Amino acid sequence: MFFHIVLERTMLLHPRFFGPKLRDTLTHQLLQDVEGRCDGKNGFIVAVTNVDPKGSGEITSGTGMVKFPVSYNALVFRPFKGEVLECVVTQVFKMGFFAEAGPLQVFVSNHLIPDDLTFDSTQEPCFKSDTGEWRIQKETEVRLKIVGMRIDATNISAIGTIKDDFLGEIRDDATGT
Amino acid sequence: MADEDEYGDMGGEGDYEEEPEPDEVLEEEGEEEEEGKERAPGDEPDIEIREGEPDEAAADRPRKTTRFMTKYERARVLGTRALQISMNAPIMVDLDANESDPLEIAMKELRERKIPFTIRRYLPDGSYEDWGVDELINPDMGRRIHNA
Repeated sequence: MFFHIVLERTMLLHPRFFGPKLRDTLTHQLLQDVEGRCDGKNGFIVAVTNVDPKGSGEITSGTGMVKFPVSYNALVFRPFKGEVLECVVTQVFKMGFFAEAGPLQVFVSNHLIPDDLTFDSTQEPCFKSDTGEWRIQKETEVRLKIVGMRIDATNISAIGTIKDDFLGEIRDDATGT
Repeated sequence: MADEDEYGDMGGEGDYEEEPEPDEVLEEEGEEEEEGKERAPGDEPDIEIREGEPDEAAADRPRKTTRFMTKYERARVLGTRALQISMNAPIMVDLDANESDPLEIAMKELRERKIPFTIRRYLPDGSYEDWGVDELINPDMGRRIHNA
């Protein structure tokens, strides 16, 4: 799920950036530091929409650097258990497959793949039904449900399932599973 | 020391000889336009709410510490400013042809009251007062004028 939230950060600024453009530099540096990063608490920071340096900075003694408290609005992507996502398959092997929803990597184990889909590595590795109607291989779009997540300080990864109604390969012709 | 005598005269409260040391030196907004607001040097200690003040804690109350910059504050301000200048911080004063010593430049900035710092003076009870470097009277300056 996506959220638009207010976050805070303390930034250290080098003296060479002082001057009339100080705030621009702060903003620029914040975007560099924060955009595209992931932290376990908030999820993936997709974009920063507004930067608001709060008040004056504080000199750190001995270094000449200045600490600025900055608050900013950010668009974050935070996956949840039970959430249904649409992903692109990146890698298929015997144990299951990996799929990506933007920055989030999801693993779907073959226990969580419907039994009628079997692994086939005769050509490109894929999971396919005996009739050949369904086929999950690299680049296939799948709809999956998150059943578990591992949240580190700097990354989030998830376990997904496609063993449920309306999950699995997404077809343009909308026949559904 | 001659300094102490001056403080004794000026400080409203007589209970301490030594001024509290500056625990924090704050960077002002850093924007040149903001410098040198209509704060006349040597005025009565004015109790204005300063722009860009993050905390209201001290801003409302009248300030009661000395209007003079203590030698400790002076040392820390000069030292910090010289360090920043040595690290390529933009300089707030005009320089002569080959003026290049950071400490000399910092002293010149202090003389012209252009150092963009605010001094946060912590009092023993944990409260604090903020004084802009441009508001504080530099005892060294008075002496220099006296000698001239």
